Amino acid sequence: MSDPFDSAAASGACARCETPLERGDLRCAICGLGTPDQQEAEQNIAIQVLRCEGCGAAVAFDAAVGAPNCSFCNSVMRLDELIDPPEQTGGYLPFRVDRGAAQAHLKRWLGSRGFFRPKDLASRSHLESLKPLYWVAWVFDAEAEVTWTADSNLGGRRSSWAPHAGAASMVFDNLLVSASRGLSDGEVDAIADSFELGEIEGEPHASPKGSVDLDAALLESFDVQRSLARRRIVRAIEATAAARVEQNHVPGSRFRKVKASVLLEKLVTRRLSFPAWVLAYRYDGKLYRAVISGQDASAMTGTSPFSYARLFMVLGIAVVAVAAIALLATVA
Amino acid sequence: MPAHTFAAVCPYCASPSVVDRPVESGGFRRDRPDFILGFDVTREAATGRVEDWIGRSRLFAPSAIKQAKVTKIQGIYLPAWLYGGVARSEFDARIGEDYTTTETYTTTDAKGKSVTRTRTVVKTEYRSLHGVHASYILDVVVTASKGLGNEELETVEPFDLRAMRRYDAAVVSGWAAEEATLSKEQGFQAGRDEARNKIAQKLRSFLPGDSAQLLDFRTEFSEENTELILLPIYVFAARYGEGKRLRILVNGQTGEVQGEVPNSPLKIAVGVLLGFAAIAIVGLIIAGATS
Repeated sequence: MSDPFDSAAASGACARCETPLERGDLRCAICGLGTPDQQEAEQNIAIQVLRCEGCGAAVAFDAAVGAPNCSFCNSVMRLDELIDPPEQTGGYLPFRVDRGAAQAHLKRWLGSRGFFRPKDLASRSHLESLKPLYWVAWVFDAEAEVTWTADSNLGGRRSSWAPHAGAASMVFDNLLVSASRGLSDGEVDAIADSFELGEIEGEPHASPKGSVDLDAALLESFDVQRSLARRRIVRAIEATAAARVEQNHVPGSRFRKVKASVLLEKLVTRRLSFPAWVLAYRYDGKLYRAVISGQDASAMTGTSPFSYARLFMVLGIAVVAVAAIALLATVA
Repeated sequence: MPAHTFAAVCPYCASPSVVDRPVESGGFRRDRPDFILGFDVTREAATGRVEDWIGRSRLFAPSAIKQAKVTKIQGIYLPAWLYGGVARSEFDARIGEDYTTTETYTTTDAKGKSVTRTRTVVKTEYRSLHGVHASYILDVVVTASKGLGNEELETVEPFDLRAMRRYDAAVVSGWAAEEATLSKEQGFQAGRDEARNKIAQKLRSFLPGDSAQLLDFRTEFSEENTELILLPIYVFAARYGEGKRLRILVNGQTGEVQGEVPNSPLKIAVGVLLGFAAIAIVGLIIAGATS
């Protein structure tokens, strides 16, 4: 793989929105502008009779088979297929957390889960499995002109709400959109910040590498075609833009009905595989799951048992304390 | 080969041919197709759908329509302009924000006495809003044929443009194909007009508030383009009654059937008379009950 960030098959940028085009694109996926045809137009009159390569008879396009078909020998001419390939990863970020470090961090994590977890959680938990996983995501950069409307409490009169509208320029740098089936969105959110996306240029490898045994590693694929991937990316950008409008642009302290229209430009998408450890541990007969970033063990998320005994103990103490205060107040 | 067509089937030997004429000749400028959507619906399937459509019951259509006979079927690639661009709009709107308030009212209680009570009511406060909206305009399809107007083309839309291919003479071979007879400039104008309708819809859903009314908007288009696309259409000619003609279109990709069915003046007159009669009967019944 020559350069995983060069959208490998890129064939120039869209003349309107400057989004890189990919081989096979008939139109820009963002603004819809047609891409130039590579073949020069014929300038002379020519009558073409398409001939069957098998028997030489004239052939015509057949709606039933979706291709030119010879009515004499029934052979079908092949047309170029529509190009909408499945998404492929552009590179693998290396593992920097080895198996031992992941295991050790699980112990520390289990011991620091807070008061409402069982006291013996770290000592009585048994590791059932610890598997390296390469999960996939799109990372994109883009610029956008965002116009918006919203209701906010600023300027409200008899109604609590007043309408507002505005426009803003936004830059999206290294935003990550998960395409993983193995990790939930919550798990991805918890470990995404551990990857230094701004510094990964040139780092990913064309094949999985790292300081861990990757024979047992699960390599996720994107499982979506290019056209669907683009729609998901655009939806993610629109959602991010709407969230930024809420946080930074709508005046007032409360708002509702925030609507954003995004005019996207220069969308550059990278398809990457990210390293993670997926752990399963058993406590008191039940299985729980945790995920550790493959590049920073401190980025970890997972589920753990809840101690109802400790909850009832706190509630009991609280009830006794309230009763004691009430008694004292009555006596006083 | 008929004028303004560039693909046909020879009536003598049934050979399909596609003519590739120069861009400019005989004082006429030809726009080469950029894209094409192939036929997915076979002639037999289209005919079946048209027969079902003809046999459908219509309240005010002449009864003879159901006995209409198809006299000609032609599968033709119709030229259309695919318009796109950037649309920046300024808008003015009236936004309704609801609020609740209590009001007092006077009513009569069970004993017939006049009493004052309160109730909660929802009222609306109206505010003006001026704003801007920017978006791409994508996939606006307008006819490039003088023979089939945009309104008629819209009746069999939409087409699934995801199946679009770059123009290839092999897809046209064996079918009739028409050259664009409306210029690129006309395509731009028609595209902008249709885009304005789309923008009005977008703006209505873009407005905040509990209720909203779009008062006015002004749109500037930039970075526009139009590309010529060939769309698969079956045109059916049918006759009914005493020499009356009917044109029926079938979307060659989706199978959508549309045709303009005339109304029968006799059926309309009967319908109006029946309506008046029904109103008169209801009036008489109410008058009788009141007296």
